Amino acid sequence: MTESRLLSAILMVAVLSFSSIAHTATTVIGSKAFTESVILGEIATQLTEEAGFNAQHRRQLGGTRVLWSALIRGDIQCYPEYTGTLRTEIFSNQNIQSDADLRATLQRQSIWTSQPLGFNNTYVLGMRRDRAAELGITRMSQLAEHPALRFGFSNEFMERADGWPGIRAYYRLPQQDVRGLAHDLAYRGIESRSLDLTDLYSTDAEIVHYDLTTLVDDASFFPVYDAIIVCRDDVPDAVRQSLNRLAGHIDEMTMTKLNARAALEREPEARIAASFLRDRLDVSVEAKVKSRFARIWQRTQEHLAMVGISLGLAVLVAIPLGIVAFYRRGIGRVVFAIADTLQTLPALALLVFLIPWLGIGYAPAIVALFLYSVLPILRNTHTGLADIPRDLRESAEALGLPRIARLRYVELPLAARSMLAGVRTAAVINVGTATLGALIGAGGYGQPILTGIRLDDTRLILEGAVPAALLALLVQWVFGWIERRWVTAK
Amino acid sequence: MLMSCAIAFEHVTHRYTHAVAVDDVTLRVEAGETVALIGPSGCGKSTLLKLAAGLVWPQQGSVFVADRALAPDNLLEIRHRIGYVIQSGGLFPHLSAVDNVTLAARFLKRDRQWIAGRVAELTELVQLPRDALDRFPNHLSGGQRQRVSLMRALMLDPAVLLLDEPLGALDPMVRHGLQEDLRRLFQRLKKSVLLVTHDMAEAAFFSQNIVLMREGRIVQRGSYRDLIDAPAEQFVSDFVKAQRGLHAEALDD
Repeated sequence: MTESRLLSAILMVAVLSFSSIAHTATTVIGSKAFTESVILGEIATQLTEEAGFNAQHRRQLGGTRVLWSALIRGDIQCYPEYTGTLRTEIFSNQNIQSDADLRATLQRQSIWTSQPLGFNNTYVLGMRRDRAAELGITRMSQLAEHPALRFGFSNEFMERADGWPGIRAYYRLPQQDVRGLAHDLAYRGIESRSLDLTDLYSTDAEIVHYDLTTLVDDASFFPVYDAIIVCRDDVPDAVRQSLNRLAGHIDEMTMTKLNARAALEREPEARIAASFLRDRLDVSVEAKVKSRFARIWQRTQEHLAMVGISLGLAVLVAIPLGIVAFYRRGIGRVVFAIADTLQTLPALALLVFLIPWLGIGYAPAIVALFLYSVLPILRNTHTGLADIPRDLRESAEALGLPRIARLRYVELPLAARSMLAGVRTAAVINVGTATLGALIGAGGYGQPILTGIRLDDTRLILEGAVPAALLALLVQWVFGWIERRWVTAK
Repeated sequence: MLMSCAIAFEHVTHRYTHAVAVDDVTLRVEAGETVALIGPSGCGKSTLLKLAAGLVWPQQGSVFVADRALAPDNLLEIRHRIGYVIQSGGLFPHLSAVDNVTLAARFLKRDRQWIAGRVAELTELVQLPRDALDRFPNHLSGGQRQRVSLMRALMLDPAVLLLDEPLGALDPMVRHGLQEDLRRLFQRLKKSVLLVTHDMAEAAFFSQNIVLMREGRIVQRGSYRDLIDAPAEQFVSDFVKAQRGLHAEALDD
């Protein structure tokens, strides 16, 4: 018995070390910032792992543009996408007609596409079941017979060519009471009967939840949005084969139910993905749902890494820059003009601007936080030096100390209090701003906040917001302690 | 040789942006001599001191310290030959008294034993309580601060002392005590001293060489007696009279 146990242990080690050599590269799978994409990303990740590869899921990275450029840059290897979105959003100027066309176009960009997963997540129009039955409406063409219906569409749908303007022309609809509003409010408007009809995604969980009827697009207005998985063509064949096992296995009903479990029942996506794979593909994978403590701990590490590195770099750059800006007024003016301008950039815009250069993840988050940290430290360094009384400055000069020595022994120590206050301000701002890092895949406390907003789950939002607030307080306290201990005027 | 003196100003003019602070001043302080600069506020006496320390530069004329013309390339070296004390003391609040005193010596990598010996010597000279050495400036009395400031000025054994109202911020009792100590110290050290004060009695107490300034120019140089007996112009008499103070007038009545 002991021998076989030893043997299996040796075998284990051998397999583990071999697999770590064979697959040192991790397949990174991204997903967009809505529930369905996260579930599909999780399914793809678990399948890839099941095929013996290291896989990592970077969830809810952002919109189509962010995911696409991350894929092209190689920050991620795969993500779930829809054929219609690629046609209308990525290749809108290329007039792609067929799926074969799309496949060929993608291939030229070195992108591989999986077989369609089996569902078409298109726009649909939905009504309360009882209201539709009352009017006898089942098809979109019938809407023309009911000009008094009240329509409420999501704001984006009001503008898109494949939205209301297109439908109105295509089906010749006469309705006048049409307004734009937020997607979530549209559901409530339907429920409370203040609206008769709204736009939905065909796999929205809310369709079942609010017991809505979706109207048949009987004249085929909406294009097809077949769900697929796109990968860079440098992913191993085995991964592709593995992902193709999903082909045709997720129909609209299945996807809608999976969405409902996440959005309405708040089941973790990892567990949903695992149970789907077990039930449909007979693939048994371990759903890695971390404990709350483990999650918070991981996010704390991510958050501290972002804040710490960016702040450290900012100190190294901004303090010398502040000193130069003080002694060379011309340079100072230029430096402050640039720093002031950077500060006015909205964080979200800055993060998105950085993606083409730095991709997703830590790098753009750290660079953005660094840029925001520079100004407070720079300004306080400058102010600290400028506020040194002339008496003391001249006394140091009269001692015959060269400029560097005056700076080192007299001026910087006297400015230290102000400089430290600048670092403290930057640190506190960073702790807050770093929550936006989750938008571009850097994790941190923003991750549960983002998920919480997506799922309308206050507990999840607090799981990110409370630690972030506590960390900000801790930072305040630590700097207060440093100040009392080291730089308080004697 | 023309310049055989401790401090010399040769036709020195210094303008601030809107006003002339020092206007064509020529003045010499011989080695070992104490000269008191006096005059109303804004007459340029402090600026003259700053010119000697190279803290401001003349637009015209030259400044000599220990026979060398002040220039950017010899400035640091010359400053080591100068001790500079200001009204507020100018002590660095983040350094203890002893660290203030020894900052320049430590920077110049003077021998540690030499530094310790020098500190002991100066502590005695300025009569500072030994336990005050480790205190920070905010925990020293006004008089102690000026004594520490003087120690700092004397640390490198300079040839020249530039004192800008060193006793101006002290209350009368402390001031009086320190005046006595300072005069004794000047006599003992035989330094060349340029002392700025606004108090005629103090000027007369320290020096036979009083230089009275007005609006950037030297009006008269001489002893207190000379200023009273042979005023160069009406302003001198007015200034002396104003300086005699209320107590003198009270006694006269």
